[in-house]
Amino acid sequence: MTSARETILSRLEQARPPASEAPAAMSGPPRAGDEIGTLRRHIEAAGGRLQVVSRANGGLAGVRWPIDLDTTRHLHSSIPEVESRGVGTTSGSDRELADLDLCILPADFAVVENGAAWQIPARPRERSAALLAEHLVLVVDAQDLVPTMHEAYERIDLGDSHFGWFLCGPSKTADIEQALVLGAHGPKTMTLVLVDD
Amino acid sequence: MGHVDRAREFVADASRTSWHDEALWFVRAKRDQAADDVPDWESLRTHAGRIKRHALSRLPELWKQFEQNAQDAGAKVHWARDAEEHNEIVADLLRDRGIRRVVKSKSMLTEECGLNERLEADGVEVVDTDLGERIVQLRREPPSHIVMPAIHLRRDEVGDLFAKEMGSPPGLDDPGELTDVARRDLRPRFLAAEAGLTGVNFAVAETGGFVVVTNEGNADLGTALPMLHIASVGLEKIIPRQRDLAPFLRLLARSATGQAITTYTSHFRGPRRPAPGADDERAPELHVVIVDNGRSHLLGRPAFREALACIRCGACLNTCPVYRRSGGHSYGSTIPGPIGSVLEPSRDPVAHAELPRACSLCGSCSEVCPVRIPLHHQLLAWRGELVAAGHRPMLQHYALEVVGRLFAHPATYRGLGALARTLARLVPKTALTRVLPAWTRGRDLPPIPPKSFRALYRERARRRASRTDRREERASGSSHGNEDAMR
Repeated sequence: MTSARETILSRLEQARPPASEAPAAMSGPPRAGDEIGTLRRHIEAAGGRLQVVSRANGGLAGVRWPIDLDTTRHLHSSIPEVESRGVGTTSGSDRELADLDLCILPADFAVVENGAAWQIPARPRERSAALLAEHLVLVVDAQDLVPTMHEAYERIDLGDSHFGWFLCGPSKTADIEQALVLGAHGPKTMTLVLVDD
Repeated sequence: MGHVDRAREFVADASRTSWHDEALWFVRAKRDQAADDVPDWESLRTHAGRIKRHALSRLPELWKQFEQNAQDAGAKVHWARDAEEHNEIVADLLRDRGIRRVVKSKSMLTEECGLNERLEADGVEVVDTDLGERIVQLRREPPSHIVMPAIHLRRDEVGDLFAKEMGSPPGLDDPGELTDVARRDLRPRFLAAEAGLTGVNFAVAETGGFVVVTNEGNADLGTALPMLHIASVGLEKIIPRQRDLAPFLRLLARSATGQAITTYTSHFRGPRRPAPGADDERAPELHVVIVDNGRSHLLGRPAFREALACIRCGACLNTCPVYRRSGGHSYGSTIPGPIGSVLEPSRDPVAHAELPRACSLCGSCSEVCPVRIPLHHQLLAWRGELVAAGHRPMLQHYALEVVGRLFAHPATYRGLGALARTLARLVPKTALTRVLPAWTRGRDLPPIPPKSFRALYRERARRRASRTDRREERASGSSHGNEDAMR
């Protein structure tokens, strides 16, 4: 008996359309003038927030966190400046992370034309933490902005990782009468922190 | 029951019809704004369309390349000739592992295959996790839109449903509070799920990976926790290179909902790496099921194959004057709207013969399509094909027969026209509404002109000729008029 694979491949061969050339690579439109302003507009349109802090003024010490760090019980952090605590430090099942209040992750770069940040969950649990926490904060260096998705994919290399994602704004839905609701399944707030010199 | 009959049920509620129409037009307007925000939008559409056409001409190579790379990354690849084979593959994977609780993120392919029913027959609990999809699942009805499954429902209807199914207080109708009710109902189901099922937005041959986009994060939450992820992908979803994702991701969300990008754009390649020190007993698995189910057949139809370039953004639904006013369920197909009306007759021409006629040929669908599928040309081509195959309503068949003969005999046509104008003055309008009820429902007969177009045109030509003659006479200084002769 012919396998499904062989059957399908032979069907595709028989139905093959005439050859059609691949287009030459496309580059994005010219860089927008006000990159941070454009980034902010897109993140806010997605229900997220943008904060710009400068190293000269203490860097991450200047961040207004979505909740008070001192009283936060369960926190996952993958940045050296903030320590994990509560279920964020335990090594049991990912499901325990459902109690997380806050998740802080570094991102590789952000895309000006849509406000998305590219992130490869490097440590175990980062992905589940980013999904299960009530609040999500991503930290990006202000040098790491790309104008469009074309430049983004020039930088993307999953390497050995099995997973990487663009994140833009909190989990949201508009499935009931097109009314935008933040916090469908995952984080209810999302903040992108841009660290400038 | 055809599209016309089902649409009649929908439009019987006039306020719902106009509300539905406006809700979709609102999304269409947001799409326009998002497109205007991208300076190279039109060349982007051309570029994306060319990638898809290129991919469609190389499907065997691309899928073999995908398969190899996916396997190298640790995924298991399955091939399914049709819906039944797809469902059996998924059911077997679950049964072999003794899995009873499954969460699923929105996938039109698994809708097309009827996967839920098949798994439920095995005693597996399948929970659709996209909010709109969960709503229609609990109502035991199909999605009415490919991106916004519950767009046909009002908040109070969702409130009634949640009161019944999730025990929320009766009368709740705030979308924020209702979403929170669903969130609290679904969170434990995510945590308890033993497998996550997803569709695929784009499969990448070069990497053997694939991309899934959502706003809710349900595809991510559904696959981050369980040990098994099964992704079902239609044959048309493959693109050659990773960098080809850029144009499609720039187009998809903007075309679909007017967003610059979705909240989550997730790139999977191979199974999840087991967490060190995790207490999970099994190694994570990723299975990809590649599904034909009629796609290779459509590929062999030159007039319609470009429909396989579709990226399922739903822009053609949102802009379609027929879809907006008749609702997704009126199409009686998995995929409604213009793209559904092109795809579904290829699957079953008899059952879906009416769909290519659920269209005014306004061409708006082709204008908004992010990959430039010539949708309205294809709908017209389907009509020709279906008529040639004998799928034409009886009345239309005879009416066109009569009209054809009439047009072939100008003298008879003129005579009957004169007769009709006289009769229209003498016979009451209700006689007409009784003879042609379908045509006179919702529209009135315009006033019957006393003269035919031909007579009016002749008179106009005569008046013009006389004016020209008078001007010429004045120009030549002639003083003696012979207007009587002109008249």
